[in-house]
Amino acid sequence: MKNGSISVNTSSIFSVDMPYSERLKIRRTVYRGGDGPRVSIVAGIHGDELEGLYVCHLLANWLEQLAETNPSALLGSVEIYPAMNTLGIDTLTRFIPVFDTDLNRSFPGASGGALPKRIAHAILSSISGSSLVIDMHASNIYLREIPQVRINNEFSDKLVPLAKKLNVDIIWIHGAMTVLEATIAHSLNSMGIPCLVVEMGVGMRITPAYCNQLIKGILTLMKHVGALAPDFEIVKPDRIPVIADDTNVHYLNASTSGIFIPDIEHWTDVSKGQLLGSIVSTFRGETLAEVISPVDGVLFTLRDYALVYEGSLMARIMANKES
Amino acid sequence: MMNMTAPVRESFNIPYHDIGPVESNPAIALVSGLHGDEINGVYILSRLVHFLKEVEKGSYPKFKLVKRAVIIPAVNVLGINTLRRAWPFDNTDINRMFPGNIMGETTQRIAYSVLETTKRADFRIDLHSSNLFFEEIPQIRIYDPGPETVKISRMFGLSTIMVRKSSPVFTTTLMSSWSYWPGHNFLLQIGRAGSIQLDYCQRVFQSIMDFMGKIGVISGLQISESDEETFVFQPSHSVNVYAEKAGMFVSDKTVGKWVLGGEELGYIYDSFNGDVISNVTAPVSGLLTGIRRHPMLFEGDHLLRICRKPE
Repeated sequence: MKNGSISVNTSSIFSVDMPYSERLKIRRTVYRGGDGPRVSIVAGIHGDELEGLYVCHLLANWLEQLAETNPSALLGSVEIYPAMNTLGIDTLTRFIPVFDTDLNRSFPGASGGALPKRIAHAILSSISGSSLVIDMHASNIYLREIPQVRINNEFSDKLVPLAKKLNVDIIWIHGAMTVLEATIAHSLNSMGIPCLVVEMGVGMRITPAYCNQLIKGILTLMKHVGALAPDFEIVKPDRIPVIADDTNVHYLNASTSGIFIPDIEHWTDVSKGQLLGSIVSTFRGETLAEVISPVDGVLFTLRDYALVYEGSLMARIMANKES
Repeated sequence: MMNMTAPVRESFNIPYHDIGPVESNPAIALVSGLHGDEINGVYILSRLVHFLKEVEKGSYPKFKLVKRAVIIPAVNVLGINTLRRAWPFDNTDINRMFPGNIMGETTQRIAYSVLETTKRADFRIDLHSSNLFFEEIPQIRIYDPGPETVKISRMFGLSTIMVRKSSPVFTTTLMSSWSYWPGHNFLLQIGRAGSIQLDYCQRVFQSIMDFMGKIGVISGLQISESDEETFVFQPSHSVNVYAEKAGMFVSDKTVGKWVLGGEELGYIYDSFNGDVISNVTAPVSGLLTGIRRHPMLFEGDHLLRICRKPE
């Protein structure tokens, strides 16, 4: 299919027989305008995260309009991979069904052997050669996240300048952890392909405002790497991200079990000693615990799933840094 | 071991046994049921507790419990009771949460308590089964071992010792966290998850008894001289066979038998029309140490592990 001078092609990058009669395919759509840089947009590595799927749709829609109105503005290509864990998304399963394996702990994978490794290998093979990769995640079903980029400090010099253009609210630079070496982002960044990990929203839901916010950032980065013509006008980003790191992110874990009722909106400024919410009993009228902010800062993670166990994360606050 | 509140149930705990003379540190710590679907270990350890308590009571006058043993038959209590491998509330694998954190997530708190309860033992053993799909010969797994660890692992008298390399993915396991403490660590891999394979359990029960006799936890035991030879298999001895095609895998072979290169070990059928798609044969001669038991196959699924005889 040809759309002006932008070609559009949906095809499978991996295909394998299933035990009974069906075939599993992992598909992508490539919008190609010219020989310029490739930008790859990845979503659905976890089958219960949907925010990125809608971003894929919005971007595809934008590119199809561009094909009608100004196809020559696309100098490179955009590859959209909405559903890496295809079978997980179709069966509402976070991990790869049957194997119960986290696809994002299976990289770099292998060309043979068990399915998760093969899928990981196929994804990396398909994506390598990109100038930029954006891997979109939607937290999990428990926590709501403000749009943010998470960066392993091993790669922060290269990635922070890019992340600043992605129109998110926070950039969180975290320490290197050995287990995270099996993520797609670590594999790509180790190969020298910059990969930004976005976390936003909450599992099993779509937050259109966050998706529209991220699109502005994706277009800005597409232009920055040269996939879009330099003189092509795009909507300007409207966020200046704050930088969080392991010294000013505070975790609020539940001191007891019960149901958590927040007293505050997500993504608001909080002050030290402020009541953020309560853990209450379901058998009695009592409040079991109060959740109090330990610092002055901004609440960027808030529990969405009300039931909490002792230890469950309820909130994360980025403390204001001394200026 | 720890007491924890639950959202709508009463508080729960993870009970464990502390048996034998109270010394500063236990001589041995045994853990199973980090995964709620691995039942062999729960059976073996609960029966071991029964035996040790009988010894303590004097029911076996010849035997004496000389040293302290700490035994946790099941860590993932809620998983055992709801037939779930991972921690049921958030599907977290407890064996990926070590070393844990007393102030962290629920499963990090559980991991922290397990490590605190067991880390000071001289010998530490973590019992596992494979998963619902694959059956493993009862084996001792040791990671990047020195010669002393290999020597001690022979004291179990099990026929199969597998030397493995540690990998970044395993840094958050109990075995890996133990390795920072003085002492010796062994992982016993027994059969498959979801059911009890009684003959394997009996063999492993005997080998743990022998081991406890040899390290002096129980005195008066007649150490059984194993009539089986022990093989130490390096990673290079393992040959894995993967499914070339999807379908149904059926085999009548039993684990623990020596097979010949070229020998037919099973079939893959097309599960829609019943055609034989593939004859699965042994690529090399060796000991059949693992076989797939769940029939439904994706292409690339692990079917067999054959270990070539070490020279």
